[in-house]
Amino acid sequence: MLIFEPHIHMFSRVTDDYEQLSLAGVRALLEPAFWLGQNRTSVGTFIDYYETLIGWERHRAQQFGIHHFCTMGLNPREANDNSINRDVLAILPRYCEKDSCIGVGEIGLDDQTKTEEIMMSEQLELARNHDLPVLVHTPHRDKMKGFQRCIAIVKEANFPMERVLLDHGNEETIKITRDLGCWSGFSIYPNTKMDPARMVSIVLEYGIERFVINSAADWGVSDPMMVPRTCVKLEQAGVPRETVEQLVWDNPIDFFAQSGRINKEMLAKPASANLRETFDGNSVLRGQDPDKM
Amino acid sequence: MTQLHRAGMVFPPMSTAELRALLGPAAEQADELLANLRTDRSRLPVVFPGIPRRFGKAVVGGGRQAFGEATVDLDAFRTCDLVAAYLVKSIEATEEEVLDVFAHGDIEERAMLFRSLNFMPLGSTTNRLFGEALRTNVALHLEAAMCDSDLLARSIKSGVLDADTANRLLLKFAFIGMDLTRAFNIENHANSTLSTMLQDLATEREAAGRSVWQHTYRMLGHAVCPGALGRLIGGIEHGDDGVRHAAADGLLAMRNNDSKLQPLLAQFAQERLPREPRDTVRELLQQLATN
Repeated sequence: MLIFEPHIHMFSRVTDDYEQLSLAGVRALLEPAFWLGQNRTSVGTFIDYYETLIGWERHRAQQFGIHHFCTMGLNPREANDNSINRDVLAILPRYCEKDSCIGVGEIGLDDQTKTEEIMMSEQLELARNHDLPVLVHTPHRDKMKGFQRCIAIVKEANFPMERVLLDHGNEETIKITRDLGCWSGFSIYPNTKMDPARMVSIVLEYGIERFVINSAADWGVSDPMMVPRTCVKLEQAGVPRETVEQLVWDNPIDFFAQSGRINKEMLAKPASANLRETFDGNSVLRGQDPDKM
Repeated sequence: MTQLHRAGMVFPPMSTAELRALLGPAAEQADELLANLRTDRSRLPVVFPGIPRRFGKAVVGGGRQAFGEATVDLDAFRTCDLVAAYLVKSIEATEEEVLDVFAHGDIEERAMLFRSLNFMPLGSTTNRLFGEALRTNVALHLEAAMCDSDLLARSIKSGVLDADTANRLLLKFAFIGMDLTRAFNIENHANSTLSTMLQDLATEREAAGRSVWQHTYRMLGHAVCPGALGRLIGGIEHGDDGVRHAAADGLLAMRNNDSKLQPLLAQFAQERLPREPRDTVRELLQQLATN
């Protein structure tokens, strides 16, 4: 089964994760620009981070046969920092035009401040200007209110709902998003929040239309294998394999294909996995002989 | 930057009109982008990354062609490479503008800029971007900078690249394992310092049980260094066809540079000939075996 993992922060992961993902059928993944766990102190560090997403991280993924894509944006947590937020918005247009950038995100709300709302609105405009869909991070605290506010901001901006992926959803939020026409993302975590069993229940009750699932694995306690694990649970629960594959392959591609920069044909083969290749003088091989790997 | 280059002794590049003619049906769309840039050249960093998806990565084709002093193999150039070159050349992008796009560019943007160098005057920008090539090991970028044209050879010949930088670039070329024949005329720039560097790399690789860049044998033949003769003679007994071919090639070059070696080399060639299974290698050995 082929898998497109639509939300994972590989910047924070090791090569073992890439190998496991590749062996489990992950042919492509999307890395949304997000918070690194520690606030940044200047726009320069955003520049370097964005360039990692279009350069080094793509290169790492390719060495394991995985196509790497990203979304670009100012995350809601750092949107609150008035010493840098305007400067970050100013540099984003050039990164939104990069070939591997297939959306704007993660944008959205976290603490649900006024500044976050302004930054979210402005980045919806950014997405419109670059003809990109948006990946919206919804708050982990006071989720229902945050979800509703995100939806309201999208509506106020008159941004097309079919180009919006509201992420980190659960059983409660699905009730308010199901009929909006937007896409719903479910982040499956190892110990907290949504887990594979709950995801199975959601699929059995609601189906898979405009749903995507992801691991949202990052620098914290998280499991990059959560999508493959959930696939197994879904099949065990009697969900047909074709349906599971539509959920984890067709759906995310269909959503991000709205960028006009990705399609199934380009993912038909694994990414070039030339283990001899290095990037800016660095190799993930650390001196091992590629012929012996 | 060398004195030669400071004196303005640079080769004439392809004209913008010639470049546009190569674009074929893409020329009109490229002109639209160009008009956009002429209105606001600060949009170059925003326009540039979209070139591959707007114009495609299809090979231009047409084989090896000369444009002024430059020779490029259009079978290795993509439409997006030429469009990028056309835009950069047409707006006469400054060194700062080119380097800015490069510094913040993605993998494709950087490759397109390296390819564009073939169509621009040799100069400081060429020098700076070759410096970037030296810092990267991305095969796509090294290919774009050094392969399928005589850009590297022209840059060395004109003095835009100094001998030390050129040697380090060629050592990187060997390190990555690229095909020497794709850097046109580069064997003319063989020198004993480079040969020593290549010999050392080969020794390190052999100590680690790894394969050696086969073109090492060719380059050592063109410019000898201590140990070169032994390596090349040993090379004609190697189990790899490509290595034996390169070694025989190198020995011929060595003999052509030093006729005193003829009797010795003929002896080894004659000894190998009856056991050599490859016709192409046999031909070279026969040349070596005869005066």
